[in-house]
Amino acid sequence: MPSLVVTAHTTAVSVAADRADAVAIPTSMTIDNEGGAADRVIRIQDIFTPSVTNGVAGPVETTVDRFRITAIVGDIITLSEEDLKGVKCLGALVVIGDAIDADCHISVGYKHE
Amino acid sequence: MLELVPKPQFSVVVPPKLLQEGYLVYFTGGWPSTHDAIREKLFRIEVCNQVPYDRPYIIPTGDYRDVDFSNGSGTFQEGTYPENQNTLFETLIGFKPGAFISHWYVPAGKSVHQLEYAQMYPDITDVNLRYLGARMAKDSPYEDPRIKLYFVKDLAPVIMRLYCLAGVDFEKVVAGLTINKCHMREVPNPTDDQMLKAKVIRYYDELRW
Repeated sequence: MPSLVVTAHTTAVSVAADRADAVAIPTSMTIDNEGGAADRVIRIQDIFTPSVTNGVAGPVETTVDRFRITAIVGDIITLSEEDLKGVKCLGALVVIGDAIDADCHISVGYKHE
Repeated sequence: MLELVPKPQFSVVVPPKLLQEGYLVYFTGGWPSTHDAIREKLFRIEVCNQVPYDRPYIIPTGDYRDVDFSNGSGTFQEGTYPENQNTLFETLIGFKPGAFISHWYVPAGKSVHQLEYAQMYPDITDVNLRYLGARMAKDSPYEDPRIKLYFVKDLAPVIMRLYCLAGVDFEKVVAGLTINKCHMREVPNPTDDQMLKAKVIRYYDELRW
């Protein structure tokens, strides 16, 4: 399973790109905020454009929060597949923080299913 | 230790899921006169070619998407019908798991799965009739598809209506298609034995009596 390390940013950082034939499922997440500047709120977001349906003729890009956690400064949080159970991204899996912090590292493992 | 594995008393042969070269297919008299080229005729499959094609649809809760398998440039048309008279497309469809159901219509608005009592007609706007004739992902899994369709040139549109069930904001329906392209040649004077061995392909109207 692939993984990627990113740092906290107020603009969504892509972890797993949208794949037409599958959904993206995070399998692990470690937030290393040991050297961070302050407590950080980290969210996993799902970005996708729905299909044209009988109810919506012109769908637009949609962003949905799928997971949210607060990492206390000086702490390292490790989340397993069990902790992330039920989190499923229909489109791109991205990570976003409440502030730009180059010392808050977020490692995300994921799979396409 | 020395062991001689005894011969099995019998074995089970599982037939292939898709039509193969040399197989015979027969189109019944139930096919409309617009399909005279194949109606009440026997064909031998000469060449096969399996073409996989995954189709994703992201649908909001309570909404639906009609997937029209016929050819054309319409928003909902998939273009998976043959263009030649002597081609048969045998299409398997399997779904990845998700909170959705599918209803089937041939042509648009005419369900294949109604019962005999007048009110027992699939209707996604009705909380009960929504599930009448509905096929779910577990009925035809992506890895082991069980829904099979037969497409010939100029067949009336076959519509798959995908409805996103309550309990999720959106659902991504991934339909895995395997299109078995079969090139057919007519068998002019079929024997009784050939007729018995042939795979009978009925018109969709024969499912509605």
